[in-house]
Amino acid sequence: MRLTVMCLRNLFRRRLRTLLSIIGISLATMTLVAVSATTTRYLAVIKEMNLFFSDDIVVVARGVLVVQAFPIGGAILESTVDKVKTVERVKTAIPLLFILDFGVEGTLHPVPLRVTIGMPGNWSVLVGSTPLLPQGEGKWPSTDIVSREVVVGYSIAKEHSLSAGSQLIVKNYVLNVTGVLDSRSALLSRAIIMPLQLAQNVYGYNMMVNMIVVKPQEGVTGEELAGRIETEITSVKALTSEERNEIIAPLLQDIENWILAITGTLFFVTATIVTTVSMMNISERRRDFATLDALGAPKSFIIRMVVTETGLIGLLGSVIGIIMGTIGAVFIVSYYSSISVSLVFPDLLTIVPPFFIVEIIALSVLVSCAAGLIPSMLATRAKIVSILRAEY
Amino acid sequence: MIVKTLELTRVYRLGASHIVAVNKVNLEIEEATFVSIVGPSGSGKTTLLHLIGLNDYPTSGKVFFKGMDTSLLKEKERRKIRLQNMGFIFQTFNLLPTLTALENVELPMALANVPQKTQRERTVQLLKAVELGNRLQHRPRELSMGEMQRVAIARAMANNPSVIFADEPTGELDSKTGFEIIKMLANLCRERKTTVIVATHDERIAEMSDLTYRICDGSIVS
Repeated sequence: MRLTVMCLRNLFRRRLRTLLSIIGISLATMTLVAVSATTTRYLAVIKEMNLFFSDDIVVVARGVLVVQAFPIGGAILESTVDKVKTVERVKTAIPLLFILDFGVEGTLHPVPLRVTIGMPGNWSVLVGSTPLLPQGEGKWPSTDIVSREVVVGYSIAKEHSLSAGSQLIVKNYVLNVTGVLDSRSALLSRAIIMPLQLAQNVYGYNMMVNMIVVKPQEGVTGEELAGRIETEITSVKALTSEERNEIIAPLLQDIENWILAITGTLFFVTATIVTTVSMMNISERRRDFATLDALGAPKSFIIRMVVTETGLIGLLGSVIGIIMGTIGAVFIVSYYSSISVSLVFPDLLTIVPPFFIVEIIALSVLVSCAAGLIPSMLATRAKIVSILRAEY
Repeated sequence: MIVKTLELTRVYRLGASHIVAVNKVNLEIEEATFVSIVGPSGSGKTTLLHLIGLNDYPTSGKVFFKGMDTSLLKEKERRKIRLQNMGFIFQTFNLLPTLTALENVELPMALANVPQKTQRERTVQLLKAVELGNRLQHRPRELSMGEMQRVAIARAMANNPSVIFADEPTGELDSKTGFEIIKMLANLCRERKTTVIVATHDERIAEMSDLTYRICDGSIVS
């Protein structure tokens, strides 16, 4: 008969214990999947943000926290743009108002509900060649603020059933949607992009911006030009792509270290559960192992049997844990991004990628098998003589 | 000569005291004989059986199996001999509880890498021989004591061993069933030309044996 079937029967014989250990491993795996998947997505969003303006210099007010390419708060006078333009070797300087909306009227979300970006045309600086939906009908907003035109991200459009021609109310302003950004980028899909002056009016940033995107002329390095801007305009700091990465690197490293620590702890829990359960099983089945020993079963067979049993516990626990963890991750992502579950669900494999699933199952099975090694060694030492003598 | 022992001794250390379970035993057992080792409880017959069955190591003395000095064998080789040349029957049957009668008998063959088809054919044949042809798919808990011991006999014969060791095979059975089991063992021994060595305190078994060793306090007395 097949070893796996024999092991499954052995596990089923002690079904309550097996069930409890599977539940334990499932909970550990579920926590791991939910934490890792959501944090990894968070990291992906942060990393993705630096793809914007990657060759440009970002100028912000001094003392402002910059997460990758975008400032969190802070403001500089719009007139600073003209000063920046006068700095030698500056090719273009485009002002942006970047507003993170964390919810209204007392409700606070861990991540912004939406991101409003105001800019004076030059849309391609931000969105590159991202097309607008509906194809052929969607158009970029007019810079004439009277028409109050905006384009919205894909996720916002889905969530509020918006399309070209729809209206959107932000801070009591009725805005006309002229198109939907056809991009699944985490930032752009939650973005409302509008003319700079309109954004200033809506959010009360009169004659203010919070970042200026500077393109250097050929023949000057970003570092050199950034230094020049900071020397000539002391109220701002100018950050190159590398500097922005350096700012966020410790945070990213901390998050990755935490994930590693959580992973290690949860696998340690898994190993402890498996070893404990396996030791209990072996202690109860000393007679069976001694009988196998007397029959002449090779030690490798006994080791394989115990390790297969622990591996099966790990496999079942991790599969159930992944299912529960994935559902958990969907709800967490839905909560922190304020996107309805039905919209998050199609992105399931983005939140919990197949490689991650395979990795977790493989690691769980590996850890469980390893945890079964010591008990299996003990099982091979069960001698029929001493066991029978102890029973008499 | 299938089994021969030379001054075979086994001493157990229990704390400060030493218990001589088997004391300088010399045996010579021919092939295809039905041998009983008879003695009272605690006389050392089970220990002797495990020593010649290569389940235990002697403190001194030697066991020869088919002329081979087993003290020179490695653990792996001893296991191989147990698997291919020996069968064991225990007082408490020691069937694996999660396996059916069929699977319990197939197990030694599976361990010896016998082809699956042969395993099945031989198992059915053996279980029919012990009159359990209608109980193939039953688990041990669904069998009576006598049936369990018959499965154990079939399992012991699975790899066509040269010798079967039976430790108090009737100890858990009522008198009638016990007698049937012994008759069955004796018949199989004669039909298949297998050596059977039984450790027992049942005098009826001694009467049916070709050769009887009587053991007392670890020594062969007759």
